Formats: sequence, C-alpha cells, structure tokens
Amino acid sequence: MKTLGLWVLRILAAAILLPVGYQKLMGDEMSIMLFDTLGMEPHGRVIIGVVEIIAALLLLSPLAASGALLAVGVMLGAIIAHVTVLGVEVGGDGGRLLVMLSIVFASTTTVLVALRRELPVIGSTLDRQGGEGLP
Amino acid sequence: MTSGGAASPSSTFRNLETRLTVNLDRVSRTANVALVLALGASFLMGHYVSFYFHFLTVSLLLLNAVNFYWRHLQARHTLLANYGFLAQVRYLLESIGPELRQYLFANDSEERPFSRTERAEVYRKAKGIDSSGAFGTQRDLDSSFATLRHSFFPAETSTPSAFEVSFGGQQDCPHPYTARHPVFISAMSYGSLGWKAVRALARGARKAGIPMNTGEGGHPKHHLAEGADLIFQMGTAKFGVRTADGQLDDDLLQALSAHDQVKMVEIKLSQGAKPGKGGLLPKEKISEEIAELRGVPRDRDVVSPAFHPECVDPASTVAFIRRVQEVSGLPVGIKFCLGRDSELQQLVREMRSQDVFPDWITVDGAEGGTGAAPLSFMDGVGLPLFQALPTVQKILAEEGATGRTRILASGKLIDARRQLVAMAMGASATYTARGFMLALGCIQALQCNQNTCPVGITTHDPALQRGLDIEEKSERVARYARALCREQGELLAAMGVRSRPELDLSTVHLPTLDGVGS
Repeated sequence: MKTLGLWVLRILAAAILLPVGYQKLMGDEMSIMLFDTLGMEPHGRVIIGVVEIIAALLLLSPLAASGALLAVGVMLGAIIAHVTVLGVEVGGDGGRLLVMLSIVFASTTTVLVALRRELPVIGSTLDRQGGEGLP
Repeated sequence: MTSGGAASPSSTFRNLETRLTVNLDRVSRTANVALVLALGASFLMGHYVSFYFHFLTVSLLLLNAVNFYWRHLQARHTLLANYGFLAQVRYLLESIGPELRQYLFANDSEERPFSRTERAEVYRKAKGIDSSGAFGTQRDLDSSFATLRHSFFPAETSTPSAFEVSFGGQQDCPHPYTARHPVFISAMSYGSLGWKAVRALARGARKAGIPMNTGEGGHPKHHLAEGADLIFQMGTAKFGVRTADGQLDDDLLQALSAHDQVKMVEIKLSQGAKPGKGGLLPKEKISEEIAELRGVPRDRDVVSPAFHPECVDPASTVAFIRRVQEVSGLPVGIKFCLGRDSELQQLVREMRSQDVFPDWITVDGAEGGTGAAPLSFMDGVGLPLFQALPTVQKILAEEGATGRTRILASGKLIDARRQLVAMAMGASATYTARGFMLALGCIQALQCNQNTCPVGITTHDPALQRGLDIEEKSERVARYARALCREQGELLAAMGVRSRPELDLSTVHLPTLDGVGS
C-alpha cells in the first residue's frame, strides 16, 4: 500500500518535471522570460532543465531517494525565486506555475522522507532504528 | 571523537597539549553555528549579487535541515546529537575502515579467519603458480603451531601410493562408495551460494574426481547438473526430503538416492558455526525455485529446528541412522560438532548395542565457517577440530567401534599441513568449504549472509555473479584440489610414510601440553 502510494507520487512528480525540464532546455518563451528576470539566462535555465530531467528519471528508477533529493532542491530554489523575485503570478498565469511547483515540492518531499534510508552515505543515520554497529 | 583539554600535572605538558590537540567539541559547535550563518550569507548573496548563489543556499538549507534532525530530533546516535554533521566524518572513516585495514594496514599474518598468507597460498594453488618462499617461515612456530614430524629416511616421492577410502563396506550397504582422493568439498548449499558458484564447484569436483557435499539446501538441482559425485546432506529441516511437518519423507529420499550421482547421504546433527542451533530462512529470500527445491511454503519464514524431530536420544538417533541407510541404500554418515564427550560415548554404546553404525562420522570443528550464525554461537559454542578429533578417535577405540565406521574432518582444513594433522588424529579424509571458496576467488569480504558478495559467490544478484566465469573457476577448483593432494604426497614422503593410514599422533608435533595445536 505504502509502496503503491509512493509510486503514484513518484510518477506524478516525474510527469510534471520531465516536460518542464524539456521546455527549459528547448528555451520556450516563458522559461526564457523567467530566467531573464532572475538574471540566469541562458546558463541557469539549461542547468535547471538538465537537473529536472535527471531528477525525474531517478524518481522512476531504484535511486528514487536521490531523485527526490534533487527535485526538492530545485523546488526550494524555485520557491526562493517566487518569494524574493517573481511573486505569486508569473506572466499572467494566475498562479498556475506556483501550483505545479507546490505539487512537485509536496510529493517529492514525501518521497524523500519515506525513502530517506536509501540515500547514499547518510541514509543509515536518518533511521530511528539506527544503522548497524553505529553508536 | 574526543574532547581535548584534560588536566595535566605540569604546565609544560598542558602547554604541549593545547598545542597538539584539536578541541573537537569547540570545533563542532563553531561548525554548527557557521552552517546557519553560511546559509544566511548565501541567501543574501543570492538576493543581492546573483541568483546563482541560491544553488549554494539550497544545498546549505538541506544540510541545515539534516543537521537539525541529527542534533535535536533523533536519539539513536549520541555523536550526531552532540556534535552534528562533523561527527559524520567519523562514520565515514569507520565505514571504510575494514577496506583500509585489509588493503593497507593489516599485516600478512593477522587477518582472520584466514590471513593474507594463507589465502595467497590457496590462490596460488588454484592458479597453478609455484608457491616457494625464501628466508624462513613467517609463522610463530613455538606457540601453538602443529607441525609434521619428518623422518630420517624419507620415502620415494616418485611412487606415491594410490589413495583409496571406501564407505559402506563395513556395513551391509548395497551401494558402497570409494573415494580416490583425500580432499572433499564440504557442505555448501544452493541458497547460501549462488547457482554459478555451485556449478563452478561441481564442475571442478568432476574434473578433479572428488566428491562434493550438497549442503542442506534441498534437492541439489545445480549440484547435479555438472556430473560430480555428490554427498547429499540432510539438515534438521530435511529440505528436499521433508513432509509438510518437517519429518523425513521416505519416498522423496528414495527417489533422490536413485540418482546415479548421489553416492552418499550425510545426516547433519549439528555444525561447527552454530552447534545446537537451527538456521532461519526468511520468507523474503524464498524464491519460487528455492521453495520448490527445498519443499517449503513461500508465505512464511522457515525455521530449521535445532535437532531432528526423529532424534531425541541415543536410541532414536541410532534407529534413525538405520532408517536412512535402509531407505537410501547408500552409505550414510552423521556430521556433528563435538559438545560433551559423555554424550558421544552414550551414542557409540547405543550404536554397538543396536549393531548399527553410521558409515562415517564427520567431525566439524567449532571453527567451521560457511554457515551464517550469531556471533555468540560462532565464537562461543563447541569444540575446535584439533581438540575434538582425538576425543572422538579415543571414544571409538574405547567402545570397540574403530573398524566399524570412519572419521571425516572439517574446519579450516585449507592446507595440506592441517589436513595431514587431522588425518594423524584419525580422519580418513578431509572436507573443506572455505578453501574451495577461496579457490573460486573469495576475497574474504565477510558478507556471505548479506547477498552482497563482491565476487559473486554467496549472492543471487546477477550483476555480482556476472564476473564469475564457471569454466575458468571450475579449472581453479580442480587445480586447487589436485595441488592439495600432490602437496600431501610430498609431505607424506618427507615423513617417511607410504600411505595415509600409517599416520598417527606420533607423526605430528602438537606443541601445547593438552595435545592441541592450530
């Protein structure tokens, strides 16, 4: 049941991240406008696009925990952008971008918390049961 | 991680100490505060200088969140709670400790269970490389190291007498078995080993002409596939020959014994790694194939009992041995790790009074090692091989059973010297499991029970098994077996002994007073 729920969230997040990342790479009008406002055009746009696509693919792989960590990072950056620079409504979209962002942030955070033990290196210390042989 | 600044008797020392020790307590506190400040600074830079700084902001935000969890929300790890993220360095270093020690810091004779010197010797035999050394032994010969006594008058090495040991001849066994080499592959099941490793061992056994014990892994499908002579092992759960409630199913045993390759049956009463304890097969590990081969359901854990339900006292144990002999029509042995002398004495007396003897007795030393076992059992229960063997031999002699059965020995017998010491203590032939694992390429990573074996032997992960080439490794298995036999022959010649039955305790040197060596 828990696994099934997590799969729904993983697919949901990946289904949003993949096209959004692709659009950034291809340089559609909206993305260019956004990253122009942030002063990150064009390198920031390409970097974020690539990271989004990698995160989406990882979310669908056995390395979902790492994918979720990447996605959460990107979403935190986006939240900072909206709070400090962009505001709620971007380019007259009625807050649609912010809603999508919130969906991805919420779902990937849930996945990250649920699968935190599978994170490389620090995973074992994020378990209340404790890792093997650690004090 | 320690905090410095302990009081010293003189000021000179105190000065020295303040110069030499890092106050990790203070460093980590500073680091934890700095982590928060860095987050703030990065955010400001991102806001006023360039949005690119927010890559750093986000990383620091996540690090701060994890650090907060470590310091305030979890209670499992004291160090992380007290020191935060810097303590993680300790875990990192500790986690790579075993590798560092093995690669860089452990010397050639200190690793356990097998030192680098001992392992290298097996590898060389398996690869067919000359293993001569120079400048004297690395061993500490005067402590507890058993050596062989050579003769003033060595025998000719050019004419080694043929080795032959037969099983079943002493009883009225319809299908006796004769082994032509004194080295057997000890019990390793499909389940504990992956299928490729089992195939490589079985093919190597066939090439070298030695028998192989199947382990208690049920119907030996993969062992059978290569045409080697097999000794079917019946564990306490009787995998492969069990009824639904774990008793012996005579029909299944009969069908299995009818296989041409199955030459003998070994009843495992206990094993050196965990004497007095049964194994546990968790339901997650029960694949469809394993459920079928072992004859167990897939929906629950399978707990092997600590003893056979048919064997509750000496009388019922001996009756069970007879039953297996009759049903299988094959030579039947028992395997145990010795516990109490008096119990073995009672068992042998019972054998005599019923006039039923097993065709052999395998004495497994407490140092036996291929079974996964709790540390307390691995370290703390049972007699080591070189203590147990003379006792078993003595009890058999006292009870007048010497000619009625044979002794096989197992437990770290990976080199010719230890094998000959075991044979001097009464063993007719020797078993080794780990020796053959090393020949397969084992690097002693000590992960046999975790399905993560880096050389693909004790794992079912296809990615890890990929590098194990059955043909190549079977060749090494065969070469190792042949090299052991050849080396035994050379040592025997130096001892002036023409055949192994001439070996006795007068032909070995056991340094410690109670007649025990390693």
